[in-house]
Amino acid sequence: MAQTQATKVEHLLVLENIGLSFKGVKAVTDISFAVAAGEICALIGPNGAGKSSLLNVINGVYQAQQGRIHFAGAEHRRMRPHDAAVRGIARTFQNIALFKGMSVLDNVLTGRTLRRRSSWIEQALRIGRAGGEDDRQREAAERIIDFLHIQPWRDTLVGKLPYGLQKRVELARALAAEPRLLLLDEPMAGMNAEEKQQMSRFIVDINRELGTTVVLIEHDIGVVMGICDHVVVLDYGRKIGDGPPDEVRQNPEVIAAYLGTRH
Amino acid sequence: MATFTDNPQPGTLPQWLQQQALQQRMGIALRHKRLGVWQVRTWGQLAAEVEQLATALQKRGFVPGASLVIVSRPRPEALIAALAAQWLGGVAVLLDPLESAAAQVPLLRELHSEWVFAEGHEEIQRLRAAGLAPRLLIYADGRGLTEVSQAGDTLAYEQLLQQDSDQRLEPQARAERTAFAFYRLDAGQGIEQQRISHAELLQEGRRLVHSEQLGRQDEALAARAFAAGGQARYLLAPWLIAGFRLNFPENLATRDQDRRELGPTLVAGTRETYERLHAQVLARLPEPGSWRRRMVDWALVAHPGALQRHLGYWLIRRPLRDVLGFSRTRAPLLVGEGLTPPTLAFFQALAIEVRTWPDPAQWQRPESWPAPLVNGWIEDSTQPA
Repeated sequence: MAQTQATKVEHLLVLENIGLSFKGVKAVTDISFAVAAGEICALIGPNGAGKSSLLNVINGVYQAQQGRIHFAGAEHRRMRPHDAAVRGIARTFQNIALFKGMSVLDNVLTGRTLRRRSSWIEQALRIGRAGGEDDRQREAAERIIDFLHIQPWRDTLVGKLPYGLQKRVELARALAAEPRLLLLDEPMAGMNAEEKQQMSRFIVDINRELGTTVVLIEHDIGVVMGICDHVVVLDYGRKIGDGPPDEVRQNPEVIAAYLGTRH
Repeated sequence: MATFTDNPQPGTLPQWLQQQALQQRMGIALRHKRLGVWQVRTWGQLAAEVEQLATALQKRGFVPGASLVIVSRPRPEALIAALAAQWLGGVAVLLDPLESAAAQVPLLRELHSEWVFAEGHEEIQRLRAAGLAPRLLIYADGRGLTEVSQAGDTLAYEQLLQQDSDQRLEPQARAERTAFAFYRLDAGQGIEQQRISHAELLQEGRRLVHSEQLGRQDEALAARAFAAGGQARYLLAPWLIAGFRLNFPENLATRDQDRRELGPTLVAGTRETYERLHAQVLARLPEPGSWRRRMVDWALVAHPGALQRHLGYWLIRRPLRDVLGFSRTRAPLLVGEGLTPPTLAFFQALAIEVRTWPDPAQWQRPESWPAPLVNGWIEDSTQPA
C-alpha cells in the first residue's frame, strides 16, 4: 500500500482498500491497485469476481463502504456518476444502454451533453451561446463517428443495428465526452473473432491516438494479453494478481483460479 | 450547350486543369464528404494545390518520367497527387484500391517505386510487407502512424503542401507520354499493366463529353475512380475537359448513401457498381407473392402500358431511382465489361438506359519489367506513336 501511495501522483486512478457489500454479502474486499495515466488496464476474473462492481464503484454508480479513490490527483470518498462524468470518467455497459429509438448521431451527441455551455433556455430559443454550439457539437460527434468508422450508419436508428455495431456506438457515445478515463465493461462480449479484432484495434487507437486511459473488463484472455499494459485479476471479490500481462500469466494463483491448472 | 471542346484544346491533363482554373476559378471542381459535411475545392484552389504539390515533389527530386505509385481509395489528396506527378511529366500508377493485401503486396514488391502516396496505416503496412523503401512516402491519414519514422522520407500530405515556394511551375507533361498506369496480377500471378497517354485519355474523354453533352452543370461521384483505365478515360478526363464537379464519397462504405444524397447526373460505374445496386434492391424487395411485391413487379415490366408508365413511375420507379441515387442521372455509363441480362433489364425497367463504354486498353504483360517505372525518359519506346 505504501508503494501505491508513494507513486499515486503518477497514476490517473488509484484505488485504496475498496470494500463493497450488499446486505452483508461482500462483493469486493480490500481491493487496491493503481492505473497509470495512458495505459490500458484489464480487470479479469471469473463470473462473480466483482469486476463490474468495481467498475461501478469507480464511476460512482455504487458507493464503496470502505476505502478511498484517487482520480487525477484528487481524493474522492464518495463520487456520484455525474461527478465522475464531469471529472472525465466515461463508461460503457455490459448490457448495451443506448437510446434505441434514436439515430447513431443523436446517441453520440448525447455524450456531448456535459460539453455544452449554453443553458436549456438558450438551446430551446436558439439564442446566445446556443448559436454556434450545435455546429461545434456536431463536428465533435462527427470526429468520433469518423474515428470509429460508423459513418455508414450515422442516420440509422440504433435499434436496427446488429449487436457488434451497437457496442461500437456505445463506445462512440462514451468517447464523445472526451474522457480521461474510459471504463469498458466487456466491450467484446458476444462478438465474433473479426469483430473482436476490430474492437481491439479501436481500443488501442483510442489509447494511443487520443491518449485516453482505459480500464476494461474482458473475458477473452487472448485479447487481454494482446492489448493491455496492465492486468488486475480478481477472484471472489479479492485481488489475486496485479502486474504486466506476462507476469500475471506466470502467477500460480491466477493460473489456478482463472486460467486453469495443468493436470 | 457550349463546351470547352469548341475552343483550341490543351494537350495534357494538367493543361486542362490550368484552363479550367482560368475560365472558372470559383467554380466547384471537387467535393469530398468529411465529418458528415461536403468540403469544397474550387478549380482555382485545385490548380494551386496541384502546382504547390508538384513544386514540393520537384524539390525532392521527382523528375519527368518518374512514377508516383498511389495506394489509396479514391480521395481528393490521392487525385491531387496523381495530377501533381503528371504536372511534372510523371506517371500516376494506380492499383485497384479494393484489391486485398494478398494481391497488392506482390504488385508493390515488383513496382519498387521511389515515390509513393499511401492513404494511411493499412496501406503503409502493405508497403512494408512488400519491403518497399521509397525515397518519399506521402500519406493522407496519419492515424496509427505515431511510430512511423518522421524522417525526410515519410511526410504527411499536409506537411508537404506547407513547404513554401514562390516559384511558378508550368506543366511539363507531354501529350504523347503516359499519364496513368494501372497494374494488376493475372490469374497466374503474373503482372499486367494498362498504360494510357494524355493524348489517348483526352481523345476518349472528348468523345464522351460530346456524346453525352457533358458540361459544367454536371455532377459525378468518383467512388471507383482509381479502379482501372476506363475510369481515367471516362471519368477523370471528361471531368477536366467539361469542368463538371467530381464528388468523392466519405468512404467506400458510404458511397451508396452519398450517391443518394448527391443525385449525380453522371454515373461512370463498373459492372460491379450496377450489380451491387441491383442486388441491394433485390434484397429489400417485399416477399414474392405479397401484394406489395406484385405491385413492384407490375410497375417494373419491360414494356409498360400508359397506366403502368405513369402510376408505376410515381409509386415505384421514382422512389426506387431516388433510393439508388439515380434521381437526376442523365448519363448512366458502364465502363468496361457489360452487365448481365437481369441487371440490364432491371435498370431498363427503371428507365435508366445504361450505356456501355468499353475499355479499349488491353491488360498486357510489361515487355521489360520493371523498366517502364524507372525514372527518366526511358519509356519512349513503350508509347504509342
